[in-house]
Amino acid sequence: MNDSMSIPHLIMNASLVVQLVMLLLLAGSIASWVVIFQRSIVLRRAKKAHRAFEDKFWSGVDLNELYREKPPEQEVVGAEHIFRSGFREFNRLMTKTRNSQAILDGVQRAMRVAWSREEERLNLHLIFLATVASASPYIGLFGTVWGIMGSFQSLSMAQQATLSTVAPWIAEALIATAMGLFAAIPAVIFYNRLSASSNRLLGQYEDFAEEFHSILHRNLQGREREAA
Amino acid sequence: MMAKEERRVGYGLPTLLAIGVHVLVLLVTALRWPDADVEPSSSSVVQATLVTTETATDQAQRAKEAQVRAAANQQAEQAQAQEEQAQEQRQAEAQAAEETARQQALAEEQARREAEQQAREEALKQAQAEAARRADEAAKQAQLREQQAEQRRQEEARQQAERQRQEEARRQAEAEAKRKAEAEAQRQAEEEAKRKAEAEAQRKAEEEAKRKAEVEAQRQAEEEAKRKAEAEAQRKAEEEAKRKAEAEAQRQAEEEARRKAEAEARRAAEAARQASASSLDNLIAGEAESIANAKQAAQAANGFINLVRRAIEQAWILPASATNQLRAVVRIQLLPTGELVSARIIESSGDGVFDRSVLQAVERAAPFREIRELPLAAQSQFREFNLDFNPKDVRR
Repeated sequence: MNDSMSIPHLIMNASLVVQLVMLLLLAGSIASWVVIFQRSIVLRRAKKAHRAFEDKFWSGVDLNELYREKPPEQEVVGAEHIFRSGFREFNRLMTKTRNSQAILDGVQRAMRVAWSREEERLNLHLIFLATVASASPYIGLFGTVWGIMGSFQSLSMAQQATLSTVAPWIAEALIATAMGLFAAIPAVIFYNRLSASSNRLLGQYEDFAEEFHSILHRNLQGREREAA
Repeated sequence: MMAKEERRVGYGLPTLLAIGVHVLVLLVTALRWPDADVEPSSSSVVQATLVTTETATDQAQRAKEAQVRAAANQQAEQAQAQEEQAQEQRQAEAQAAEETARQQALAEEQARREAEQQAREEALKQAQAEAARRADEAAKQAQLREQQAEQRRQEEARQQAERQRQEEARRQAEAEAKRKAEAEAQRQAEEEAKRKAEAEAQRKAEEEAKRKAEVEAQRQAEEEAKRKAEAEAQRKAEEEAKRKAEAEAQRQAEEEARRKAEAEARRAAEAARQASASSLDNLIAGEAESIANAKQAAQAANGFINLVRRAIEQAWILPASATNQLRAVVRIQLLPTGELVSARIIESSGDGVFDRSVLQAVERAAPFREIRELPLAAQSQFREFNLDFNPKDVRR
């Protein structure tokens, strides 16, 4: 492989547009990998935290103690966030109304809000991955098409149309497509993987919310019977 | 505590990891590239294809280049030939002077000498003839090679010959009568001489050579032929011989008459010729390098002319009346396929039988299919050409 066909040489000799496309793709690739790593860590931790919280929740601990374990101003995430917002709403409404249906509605609303926040938090930037995954092949293709246009223009100037005059141009143009695919393929794979795991986690949160809701409901039913 | 852990998931570590991934990929690609050296083989295949397209497109240009080169070669040859010619002319003059002296001496001696002496002289002449013939044979071989130069030289030589012939007409007339009487005696003496051992003849020839001043030059020629088997000497000898052929038509005629009789001696000469031919081959190989491709077309043309000449010579049945002085020039016209269009005498020999035999030979030798193998440029050149017919060429 001679020096003129090495990849760095080809990239350096590419036309400006192709170089910009390559730069864009490189930035997209790096950003998508940043997102991939960040999301992976976040989701892994969220999963771990969820498992730990569920263990603690179902260990039979008193919910009031669980609620008071952390100061209310501290930000919490995951199922704990749902639990705290639901329990806080429950406690607040308990002092104001005796209507259990109204309390349960309020708790459910609060938990839905918390779940929605969690969903937003977990799916943060995943859309960026999806964008990179779907757009970068096209961007790379654009760079290739532009480069091949340039190669044909230079071919029209050339006296003899030999393969050696065309080859560097086409190779350089194809690098753009290669980079597009290089950015897109991990993005696609990790988007699917991360969104699947985040959906699973959100489903678990939802389950937890339902279970918590049924606990509160049972609690309220018990109180009504006592009151009656 | 959990929240603290969550918060720590910033973008610093992922960024580092992402950049690390890209650097890793770049390193891998950079390392992989030297391994991917299989691809240059495909590029070499591509180069091969390019060469063929070049040949396809540049044929005209190359032909032109070849012509230019051929022209340059021709000029060089011409210059060389002129140089050689000047040299040859000087030599020929000296030779001619010697020759006349020898002729006179011969005439005197032969008038004086008896049959035995004639035999001895015959033996001497045999030796001379052998040397001269060897040179001649070599000349003939080289002649084929340098047909081109020869043709030009022939033109000039012919003009010279015209002048010389007029000058020599007188001398020839004198010598002719002498030679005819001589030839009779020679043939008888030849048979005797043949029976005798070659060594004795050689020895006698040497003795004879010492006695005669003219022998000096002849022995020189002999030594030359023996010592210088090299092509350059032979070419010179051949050119000498060719010029002598013009200047010394008389002596050649003698030698040829003798040669015809000397079948045995000719075989020996054939061997010598082959030996010289091998050295000639070396020379040809050496020259072929310097001459290069450009001359190929010219060589093919020469080859064609030689083929035609040989074919006609083989088909030529010499009439009994033919003598060496007869000469006819025939204009031959060919179709591109080599078919004979017409053959007509443009320079008659004056002997009708001879002329007719020449035309019949041409008709019998036709068609000349070899013309189709010539390059196009040469083909048009040889669609019409002249051939010089002289019995001495055939009897040789």
